[in-house]
Amino acid sequence: MSDEPLRAALAPWLRLLARRPRRLVIGVLLLALTLFSAIGLLALSGWFIAASALTGLGLAMGLAVSLDVYVPGGGIRFFALSRTVARYGERLYNHDTVLRLLADLRGRLFAAMAALDDRSLARQRASDWLNRLTADIDTLDSLYLRLLAPPLVALAAVVLVAAFVALWVPLAGVALLALLLPAWAWLTAGQAWLGMAASRRQVEHQQRLRSQAIEHLTGLAELEAYGSQAWHRAGLRQYEAGLYRDQRRTGRVAAFGSALVNLVVGLGVVMALWLAALAWQQGSIGGAVMVMLPLAVLAVGEALALLPGPFTQLGATRGAAVRLNAVERASGNGFGKGDASLPGGPLAVRLEDIGLHYPAALTPALRDIQLELSPGERLALTGASGAGKSSVAALLTRRLPPDHGSIMVGGVPLAQVAERSLRERVAILGQRIDLFQDSLATNLRLAAPDASDARLWQALDWVGLAEWGDTLPHGLATAVGEGGRALSGGQARRLALARLWLRDPGLVILDEPFAGLDAATVARLSSRLDRWLVGRSVLYLVHQLDGGAFDPPSISRERRLVEGQLTVCANSMYPSG
Amino acid sequence: MTSDAHAASTPRRWLAAHAAGQRHWLGLAAAAGIAVGALTVAQMALLAWIVSRLLVAGEPLGALGWAFLALVVVLLARALCQWGQEVAGQEASLRIRRAIRSELLDHLAAMGPVRAGARHSAGLASQLVEQVEALDGYFARFLPQLRLSVAIPLLILLVVAWLDWLAALFLLLAAPLIPLFMALVGMGAERLNRDQFAAVSRLSGHFLDRVRGIATLQLFHRTREAGIEVHAAADRYRRLSMRTLRVAFLSSAVLEFFASVSIAVVAIYVGFGLLGYIDLGPAAELSLFSGLLVLLLAPEFFQPLRSLAQHYHDRAAALGAADGMLALLAEPLRRADGGAALPSSDERLLALEGVTLSHPGRGQVLGPLSIAVTAGETLVVSGPSGAGKSALLQLLAGFVTPDQGARRVREPLRIAWMDQRPLLIHGSLADNLRLAAPQASEAELQQALERAGLAELVAALPRGIDTGLGERGSGLSGGQAQRLALARVFLSDAELVLLDEPTASLDEASEARVVASLRRLAGEGRALVIATHHPALMAMAERRLALDAGRVCHSAGGRADER
Repeated sequence: MSDEPLRAALAPWLRLLARRPRRLVIGVLLLALTLFSAIGLLALSGWFIAASALTGLGLAMGLAVSLDVYVPGGGIRFFALSRTVARYGERLYNHDTVLRLLADLRGRLFAAMAALDDRSLARQRASDWLNRLTADIDTLDSLYLRLLAPPLVALAAVVLVAAFVALWVPLAGVALLALLLPAWAWLTAGQAWLGMAASRRQVEHQQRLRSQAIEHLTGLAELEAYGSQAWHRAGLRQYEAGLYRDQRRTGRVAAFGSALVNLVVGLGVVMALWLAALAWQQGSIGGAVMVMLPLAVLAVGEALALLPGPFTQLGATRGAAVRLNAVERASGNGFGKGDASLPGGPLAVRLEDIGLHYPAALTPALRDIQLELSPGERLALTGASGAGKSSVAALLTRRLPPDHGSIMVGGVPLAQVAERSLRERVAILGQRIDLFQDSLATNLRLAAPDASDARLWQALDWVGLAEWGDTLPHGLATAVGEGGRALSGGQARRLALARLWLRDPGLVILDEPFAGLDAATVARLSSRLDRWLVGRSVLYLVHQLDGGAFDPPSISRERRLVEGQLTVCANSMYPSG
Repeated sequence: MTSDAHAASTPRRWLAAHAAGQRHWLGLAAAAGIAVGALTVAQMALLAWIVSRLLVAGEPLGALGWAFLALVVVLLARALCQWGQEVAGQEASLRIRRAIRSELLDHLAAMGPVRAGARHSAGLASQLVEQVEALDGYFARFLPQLRLSVAIPLLILLVVAWLDWLAALFLLLAAPLIPLFMALVGMGAERLNRDQFAAVSRLSGHFLDRVRGIATLQLFHRTREAGIEVHAAADRYRRLSMRTLRVAFLSSAVLEFFASVSIAVVAIYVGFGLLGYIDLGPAAELSLFSGLLVLLLAPEFFQPLRSLAQHYHDRAAALGAADGMLALLAEPLRRADGGAALPSSDERLLALEGVTLSHPGRGQVLGPLSIAVTAGETLVVSGPSGAGKSALLQLLAGFVTPDQGARRVREPLRIAWMDQRPLLIHGSLADNLRLAAPQASEAELQQALERAGLAELVAALPRGIDTGLGERGSGLSGGQAQRLALARVFLSDAELVLLDEPTASLDEASEARVVASLRRLAGEGRALVIATHHPALMAMAERRLALDAGRVCHSAGGRADER
C-alpha cells in the first residue's frame, strides 16, 4: 500500500474536513482579511507618502494643489487595526477548527480500531504503534491549517493583486500573473515533488531509530558482556545518518523554497515598478499610484512565505494518511458477524481440527486442536506460557479467526453468532487487566451499564473489596488512575473479577484467575467463585496445577497444551482426555 | 564534561555549551541572516531612490536601467544568503543533536546495564530519539534568530535615525514596549495554563487510555459508547484549550498591533511632514526618498521580532527536553573495579572479596560476601526471590560495582550473559547470532545452532538462518528465544557464562532441551554460574550456593574455598 497515490491517500481526510464547510470558509476568509489588511496598509501608505511628497513639491513651487489627508489617513489607521484584529480572530478561529478536526479524527479512528481483530492489535502493539498513531493524528489535524487554507489564500492574493494592478496598468497585471502563478504552482506542487520521498522516509527512519534505541537499552547487559555495544551503536548511527540525510535534503529544499519566495516577490516588485514607471511617463497613471503598485506586490510575500515549509513536508503527511488508511482498511476485514443468538444456560463448546499460524512466526501457534466442553463442565487447559492457551481463548472469544477448523459454541457456528449475543454470553478474564482512567463505578459499569450503585457495592463485596471501598473518601467515584495505577495488581484483578460477577455468561474463560492474589484472599474467593460458576461452562487457563489451594475450584478435567498441540497429561491430579 | 558539572548545570547553560561546540555553523547562520538584513536595507534604498529619481528629479526611465539591474543583483544575493542562513542553522542543529545523542548513549553505557536498566526503556528511548529531535527548532532557528532580533532592528534603527531621527524615535519607543506587553500577557497565559493543566492533560490522555484498552472494550461490547466518549472528551479538551489560547494569542496580537500601528504612525508622520504640516525637528527635511525608505524599513524593523516570537515555543520545548536529559546525565556512573587483577596462573577466573551492594530505595540487597569462580566449574545459586541472586550475577558480570569490597578478574576474561528475556535484534537469525561474534563463519553459526538444539527447526525454515525476526523477536516462542540466546553463548569464546533464571517460564520439554545444552556447554570446559530455583538446573551443580537476604546461608561441594 506504500505507493497509494497522493490523492487517494488524502481523500478520506479531505472528505472529513469537508464535513465542516462553513468553518473552513470562514477560516479562509479571516486569513484573507489579515493578508489584505497587510497589503492595504503597505500600498496605501506608499501612495499617501508619494502623494504627499508630490503635493509638497507642488506647494513649494507655488502651485494651487491640495491633498485630502483624512481619507487616506483614516484608511491607514483602519488597515493597521483590522490587520491586528483579523489576525487574532483568525488564529483563534482556526485553532478551534483544528481542535474540532482533532476530535473528528480521533472519533473516526477509534471507530475503525474498535473493529480490529486481536492479530492486528497485537501487531500494532509490538511496534510502538500508539506512539506513531498519535504522531500521525497530529500530522493530519494540521492538514487544513498548513496545507489547505494557505495555498488558497495565497492564490487569491496573487490573482487579486494582479487584478488590482491591471486596473491601473493592464500589462503589469498580466506580467505579474505570468510570474507569480507559476511561482505559486512551484511553491506547492514543485516543493512537494522535491521533498516527497525524503520527507516520507524521515518518519520511517525515526521509527527505526526508536526501535533500535529500545533494542540497545533492553540489551545493554548482553551487548556489554559480548563486547558488542560499539557494533550495535554503529547500527544506531546508521539509522541516525539515514534520518539526517533526509532531514538535510528536506531542509535544503524548504530553504530553497523560502529563498525563492523572496526572490520572486522581489522580481515582481521590480517588474511592477518598471511597468508602472513606463505608464507614468506616458501619463496614464499618477505618480502616487506608480509608488502604490509595487508596494502592493511586496506585501504578497507574506502569503507565499507560508507555502514552502509545509509542502516540502507533504510526504510526511502522506505517510501518516497512508498508515491511518491501513488501520481503517484492516478494520474492514472483520470476520463472521452473523445474527444468530446463543441459547441460555451453560454453553457447549466444540473445537475441531483447529490450526492457527501467526504471520512471521516460525512455528504454528496451534495444531490439530480437538477440544470439547459439555454444558456446565469445567475444563482446565494447562501449559507453559507460549504453549497456545491465549490463542485458544482468542479463538473462542472471536478475537481471531482460525486458519482452518470449526468452532461451535452453544451448538451454533461461532462465526454466525451476533456480536451482542456473543459478548453477553461469553465472558473472559484475561491476563491483562484493562482499567480505564476513570472512576471505579465507570470501570465496573463497563460490564453492566445499567447497574445501580447498590449492585456495584455488592460486586465489590463479592470480591472482598467492599471494606476497602468504604475507606475511600470518594467511594465509587474514586479515580483509578491511568491504567488503574492507583490500584495494586491484586486489587485490579479483583476488580476485574467483580466485573465478571456483574454479568450472566453461559461460558466463562478464566486465565490464571488467582494470579497475584494472596492465599487468604484466594481461599475466600475460591468458594464464592465456585458457587457463581455453577450452571456455566468454564474453561480455566493455567500454567500448572498442583492440587493445592491456588488451583481454580472444581476442575472436572485437565488437558495440556505443549507447543500448540494437545497432549495427554501424565500423572495429572485431575481426569484427563 | 563530568557528571558533577552536569549536576550544577542548568538546561540553559547545557544547551549553550552544546551551541558553543558548533559556533562556526551557528555563526555562519547569524552572519548570513545579518547579510539578509543588510541586503534588505539595500533593496529598499534602491527602490526608494529609483522612485525619488523618477518622481522628484524627473529622470527618464532609460537612465535608471543600471539601478534596476542593481536591484535584481541585490535580490539574487539576498536569496542566496537567506538559503545559506537556513542551511547553516540546520547543519548546526544536526551536528548538535548527533553529539547530544552520543553523549546520552555514552553516559548510559557508563552507568552500566543495572543502573540504566532500572529506567523504563520506552521512556529512555523517547528521550534518545524524540526528545533529542525536539531540540531542532531551538538550535536551527531560535538561536540564530535570537542574534538577528537584536542586530537587524539595530541596523535598521541606525539607517532610519540617519534619515530622520524622529521616525527612529517612534520605532525605538515601540520596540521595548513589545517584549514588555508580551511578557505581561505571557504571564497571564502561564497562570491560566497551570490552572487548567491537570484537566487538559487528563483529557489529552483520554484517547490513548481508551485505545490501550480497546480489546477489553470489544469484549464488553462497549466500543460504540466509548467512541462517542472519545469524541466528547476531545471536544472538552478543545473548549479548555481554547480558553488558554484566547489569552496566549493576545501576546502575538500585541506584537502585530505595535508593528501595524508603528507603520501607520510612520506613514502618517512622513506624509504630513512632506506636506509641510509638521515643523517639528527633522520633519521639514524629509524628502520622498527618505520618507519612502523609512516607510519601507518600518515593517522590516519588526520582522525579526515576529520571527522570534514564532520560534519561541521551540525554546520552551528545548528547555523541557534538556531538563530531562540533564536529570539522566546527573545519574552517577559506575565506578571502576576496586581490586587488582588476578595473576594469570590463578585457577580462579573471578573473585568477589567482601562485597556489598545496595539499590536505591531498597537498601542493601547483597553482602557482605566473598566468592570465587574457578575455571570450568558449574556453580548454582539458589534462594527465594529477592534473596540477591540476580544482584550477585550482576556483580560477577561487572554490570554494577560493589559499594564495598573488590571484584578481581583474571585478565582478559570473556563473559557471556543470558537472562529470562534475551536480547533479540531486528534482523536475521544469523545477525542475532553474530552479535556474540561478528566475525563468525557460516559453519560456526551452524555448529552453535546444533549445540543449542535449534538446528532442526532452522533447517525446516525456507530461508534457513537468513530468516528475519520481527521487532523484539516477534515470531519466536519463549523456548526458541532462549535456545537462540544459548546458541550465542556457544558461538562466543566466553570462559565464564552467567545465567539468570534461564528456564523461567519454559515448559518441561523446552526446559529439558535447555538443560541438555547447558550440560554440553559445561562439557566444553566453560565455567557456569546459574541463578535458578528449578530442580532440573540445580541438579547440574558441582557446587551450590544458597542465598538468603543477600547473605550466603549454605554452600556445598566445590573445589574452591570460600572465605
